[in-house]
Amino acid sequence: MLNILVLGLGQCGNRILDSINSEAFGGNGMFAKYYSNQKFPASVKTIAINTAINDLKGLKCTLAKDRFHVPHLHGVGANRTLGKKVFEDNKELIMGEIDKRGSFDLIFIITSTAGGSGSSFAPRLVEELKAAYNAQIVCIAVLPFREEGSISLQNTAFCIKELIEEKPNGILLVDNQYLKKYAGDIKSAYDKINETTARRLLFLIEALNSEMLMVTDLGDLKTVMNGGVGIGTMGFYESDNGNTVKSTILGSFKPSGLLFPANVYTEGARAMLIIKGNKKYLDLDMINKTIEELSTEVGQVFKGVLVKKGPAKVLSLFTLNSIPELDSLYASAADAIRTEKVKREESKKQLDNAFACIEELEPIY
Amino acid sequence: MNSVRILVIATIFVFMLLIPVVVASGNDSYIFDNELQVNEGITIETSIHIEVVDVNRIPPERAKFRITSYQKPERTITVFREDGPQVNKYETYRGTSIYFDVIGVYSDSVQFSVSGPSNWRVTDYYDVETEEDLEEVADAVTVPKLKITRTLDIASVQQGQTVKVTFKIKNEGNGTASEIELDESTITGAYMEGCPASLNDIAAGATERVSYDLKIIDAEPGTYELNPTLLNYKSESGASYSSESTSNVLVIVAEEVLVPELGIKVTIESDDDVITCGDRFPAIIRIDNIGNATSGRVTIKSHLPDDVRVADGEIDPVYESIKPGDFVEYDVTMIAYEPGKHIIKMDVLWADAEASASAEFWAELSGFDKYYIYILAAIPIVLILLWLIKRRREYSF
Repeated sequence: MLNILVLGLGQCGNRILDSINSEAFGGNGMFAKYYSNQKFPASVKTIAINTAINDLKGLKCTLAKDRFHVPHLHGVGANRTLGKKVFEDNKELIMGEIDKRGSFDLIFIITSTAGGSGSSFAPRLVEELKAAYNAQIVCIAVLPFREEGSISLQNTAFCIKELIEEKPNGILLVDNQYLKKYAGDIKSAYDKINETTARRLLFLIEALNSEMLMVTDLGDLKTVMNGGVGIGTMGFYESDNGNTVKSTILGSFKPSGLLFPANVYTEGARAMLIIKGNKKYLDLDMINKTIEELSTEVGQVFKGVLVKKGPAKVLSLFTLNSIPELDSLYASAADAIRTEKVKREESKKQLDNAFACIEELEPIY
Repeated sequence: MNSVRILVIATIFVFMLLIPVVVASGNDSYIFDNELQVNEGITIETSIHIEVVDVNRIPPERAKFRITSYQKPERTITVFREDGPQVNKYETYRGTSIYFDVIGVYSDSVQFSVSGPSNWRVTDYYDVETEEDLEEVADAVTVPKLKITRTLDIASVQQGQTVKVTFKIKNEGNGTASEIELDESTITGAYMEGCPASLNDIAAGATERVSYDLKIIDAEPGTYELNPTLLNYKSESGASYSSESTSNVLVIVAEEVLVPELGIKVTIESDDDVITCGDRFPAIIRIDNIGNATSGRVTIKSHLPDDVRVADGEIDPVYESIKPGDFVEYDVTMIAYEPGKHIIKMDVLWADAEASASAEFWAELSGFDKYYIYILAAIPIVLILLWLIKRRREYSF
């Protein structure tokens, strides 16, 4: 059995982690935690780490002992510089808390790239975890709504850059901006994104830990995540009973099933397909034939087939050779930084002019 | 000749007229019908003495008689001629009546008749000694005079007990009393043991004491007046005398029967006689000997309701005896298991007798028993709440 650690950093990471814990109750509603136990498909340990204690208090399905408050008042206010300092100051505490959970084969770090604590902690934590554990580390980085502001954009830009520099085994992107269209109001969007991400991650964990008809394992995951630029995303499709397994597999490649906007067929480097469902829906010949067809377009495609009750479901995990959306995001971030810089200089100049009015004057009482 | 015939017929006619008047009843007949001089007397059936005391021819003609008889004081009656026999009656001690009728009064004699029971006869004719005669004799003869005093050793006696009756007889005369006969009556239901009918001669100035036992057999309780004791005696000259004692009062009370009598009492100590089911409660059993004798072996027998058990103590002890006025008391601890009215009955048995007592109490379910179903129902709720609290605390940060 795989020993898996899931770390949720910052407010976003905490909430996705809470969704994972909630899903582990079997989707039995908000009261399940009072009468049921979490059932993870593997040996999964979760820790929600945050400097904002109110964010930790807001979690519903995460055990108190799995919530770790990094003492710094109430968050770092989206200031990654301050966040990094806080991490450095509390690194021993954080690593000590993680160390209590034992050793791990696979570590997921879930964080928003736009915030303060998560985006600043994640790169540093990758570095520390790599040094401390012989485990694969996969970061799930959540990109912000573009209208969240310039700080969010610049944080995202620098966070992803630093993450890549720390060389985790892979980065899976989840784009709030892209997923917003599938939900109504902002709260519903967040909840939907968190829930979707949680379910796909648990699907992946289940697949990696299960005896499958066709096997994909941790090594396959490592190989897939090493493909392209080491950045990828996940797609998902659940058929109704009339669909063939081929249409289900191809459905998981559709943009509507992806967590980050990408053209898998043109941008995909490597892929892993995990197919789960009732045996009667799983035509192995068709699966093999479909995989072969996809391999010619996407490249290496690993497959795993998990025979379970229910209709056919397919989780697809990709790494990408190119990420046009990131280019766009970085451009927007750069514009935002520049604009912020100009505004700040103008403001400073304006303030200096204002102060000049009282230069060489003293208050008279 | 005709005058003689007329006299005979007239006599027969008068005789026929007199017969229904003289004879008092169908069974009576003339005992005496004759003429006696003054100071002459007759004795009827040796006990009734009739003496002619005086006569008076001045109309209304009459004669005075002195009559003495057994157990009766001397009595003097005056009988008028032509009164008829029904008017002048004398009744003896035993209730038999005799009737006097004066037929003729003369200068120093009277002709009279005495009628009575047909089998009675005149047993003696005698001359009455006059005072002058007595004065003459007094100088020559001695006269005994007995004074009898009767005393009882106890004035109050129970049935079954014996009273010692003592006579103190003192001869206060100057002659010896002889042929002393003691006539002592008794009361119904009593028996005189050793009571002499006659006594030895008592010399002048001597005192004699005689006792007998009066055993009260089955006389009814009450106050009795003992009739005076009569002494009949004679002087040396043969003259008869009598004297009597005063009467005595004797109280007879019911015989005190010595029997033990036991009473039993059961006391349950509780508030308002309400017991809580399943709780121990004490019961005190007390046996009193309210009789006047020590009881023999005393056995206690309990009758408990089915759901009442003895938790501690011996409820049916046995005692060898209980003295009169004494009591024994013991306590037992019991438990009642079912609610409702309970009656504990206890019998005390001794000899051939028994007595019973009972005590009532109510048993009620305890608060726990009443509400245990709710408590049972609440336990899982509490456990669930505790579980929820625990789980909530686990998820509270």
